[in-house]
Amino acid sequence: MPNVPLIEIENLHANAGETPILRGLDLEIRAGEVHAIMGPNGSGKSTLSNVLVGRPGYEVTAGEIRFRGANLLEMDAETRAREGIFLAFQYPVEIPGVANNYFLRTAVNAIRSHRGQERLDAIDFLTLLREKMKLVEMPEEMMARAINEGFSGGEKKRNEILQMLLLDPAFCILDETDSGLDIDALRTVANGVNQMRSPDRAMLVITHYQRLLDYIVPDRVHVLSKGRIVRSGGKELALELEEKGYGWIEGEAEQAS
Amino acid sequence: MSVAVDSLMRLRQRFAGAGPEWLQSQRENARRAFLEAGLPTRRLEAWKSTNLAPLEALDFARIAPTGAATLGASLAASLPAGVRVRSLADVLRSEPERIAGRLGRLADPKQSALVALQTACLEDGVVIELDANARIEEPIRIRLNSSPDVYDRPSASFPRLLVLADENSEATIALDFGSEKPAPGFTCHVAELLLSPGARIELVQIQAEPAPRIHFSSVHAEVDRGARFDSSVASLSDGLLRSELDIRLIAPGAETGMNGFFLGRGAGHVDHYTTVEHAAPHCTSAQEYRGVLADHAKGIFRGRVIVRPDAQKTDARQSNPNLLLSSAASVDTRPQLEIYADDVRASHGSTIGQLDADALFFLRARGIAEPEARLLLTHAFASAVVEAIRNPSLRADLTGRIDEALGQLELAPRSGSRDPVRASRDGGSE
Repeated sequence: MPNVPLIEIENLHANAGETPILRGLDLEIRAGEVHAIMGPNGSGKSTLSNVLVGRPGYEVTAGEIRFRGANLLEMDAETRAREGIFLAFQYPVEIPGVANNYFLRTAVNAIRSHRGQERLDAIDFLTLLREKMKLVEMPEEMMARAINEGFSGGEKKRNEILQMLLLDPAFCILDETDSGLDIDALRTVANGVNQMRSPDRAMLVITHYQRLLDYIVPDRVHVLSKGRIVRSGGKELALELEEKGYGWIEGEAEQAS
Repeated sequence: MSVAVDSLMRLRQRFAGAGPEWLQSQRENARRAFLEAGLPTRRLEAWKSTNLAPLEALDFARIAPTGAATLGASLAASLPAGVRVRSLADVLRSEPERIAGRLGRLADPKQSALVALQTACLEDGVVIELDANARIEEPIRIRLNSSPDVYDRPSASFPRLLVLADENSEATIALDFGSEKPAPGFTCHVAELLLSPGARIELVQIQAEPAPRIHFSSVHAEVDRGARFDSSVASLSDGLLRSELDIRLIAPGAETGMNGFFLGRGAGHVDHYTTVEHAAPHCTSAQEYRGVLADHAKGIFRGRVIVRPDAQKTDARQSNPNLLLSSAASVDTRPQLEIYADDVRASHGSTIGQLDADALFFLRARGIAEPEARLLLTHAFASAVVEAIRNPSLRADLTGRIDEALGQLELAPRSGSRDPVRASRDGGSE
């Protein structure tokens, strides 16, 4: 279905807790495209990513989200993940007592079962895991450790990208994946993400800074302000923003309304 | 007197006059102490939260054997030199002098009515002797199975474990209390462990007798200079359970690690009462008891730490985190520090919480269904206790047993914790 957008967001209004954050957001992303959403703090970037993955505590008050034509808002978080939505978290949680490799195999098999694929046994999984770990330059001993426990900021982000590589999602959301990364880690992470670019897959890169977009070059850039997209353009929009700051767009948006 | 006491006092007469004289008089003194005190009631400070009324009502038909029957026949053959594992009856017959003055030395009938009852009804049990420098790698496994009695009438069992660990000996002992089928009755277990200087003993107890069986366990250890006693307790019963641990560190360099995991489910009542006494300087105790309470279950943790005036440079740590999986479950946690020395490091902490919402969501966002995610996190919570066990095969066993018990929990989302996105849409105009 090349003509149906992978994800369609229409007039989305959402609260974080009791506070209205998104106020009429529209966005369409087709398979094969990489979109970036930029915006100042508090513009609603994280609320958007949380609403997309169905996090409790975020309430949709109006509007619609369709994923491959189906009503996304009727799916619980695990169903969304199994259907192919993946969020690389801005702040990955540490979970003491759950080994990374055990967790990854459980997740991979949950998703494979949902897709009607055979579950991977420990040996097949290990082969797959080793292959993907190379891409994000993660040492093998990190797999026996608990999820993110004692990981550095960069290691946590690599672990997120590793999960993305393993779960093979159709729609990837990267929430401020560049935050807290030095330039080497940023390159590794971007490399992992770029490996995932494909005609069947779409990505939404959420970022405050233009820097990440040097490495993950978007097809479209949107500027989010006060819960709405106020401007869209090509990758050059990111550079313009970097130069002029968010005040420029926000000023324009206010004049227009 | 209650039906329970009547029937037990009658049944004990079968063996009350057996064995060496010192044992007969121990039984008789204990019987008197017990009858004077009676079964513990909630008027006693130590029993405030636990009601033994269900025990009082039991009309016992039998006192079940607990000695040789519980020891695997293969065990004796594979023991290394200097390690002896025998039934108490066996030792009493062949060389009672080996245990005279040691059996009953730590478990004092005057201190506890149930210890008194156990001693009054003491017929058999297991004696483990470790000669100086003897070491056994494989765990010594003792399985105590409370099978249903004929006609399903209540039975009682009074297993006693006596461990005599001579200097620098080393062993792991695993006690497994279980039952294939629910069996009404009462298991009243007492263990005494005497650790000579430099001995290292690990005791692992799996307490998993299903309701309506009532389980009581009272473990007493005395730890001498440079010796180390590790206790791990996993309480997986859905019935009424009380598990006591009483450790005395009597000479410098004595150490103890006390780990516990308790899972309360159904209408279960799990009560853990620990006491560690620092009676000498430079001793260390570290205890971590973790509780998971589901359904209507109630958990109790009471941890006493006593530091005697001489016990300078004591290092005593205690922690009791608890997880409540249902709004009808509850836990009562009370650390109790009695410190009479001034140069001491002592810490304690207890928490009561629910599964971490961020962790739960993270797992769901990776495609893991909510009940499975809850199970994974609950298991992770318990794993700290399992990790403390030294022997890998016991660790694996216990992991399996905990998983099995957790697998019986209803871990579906709690009502009221529905995804707000969905909830709001359901309530909307659709």
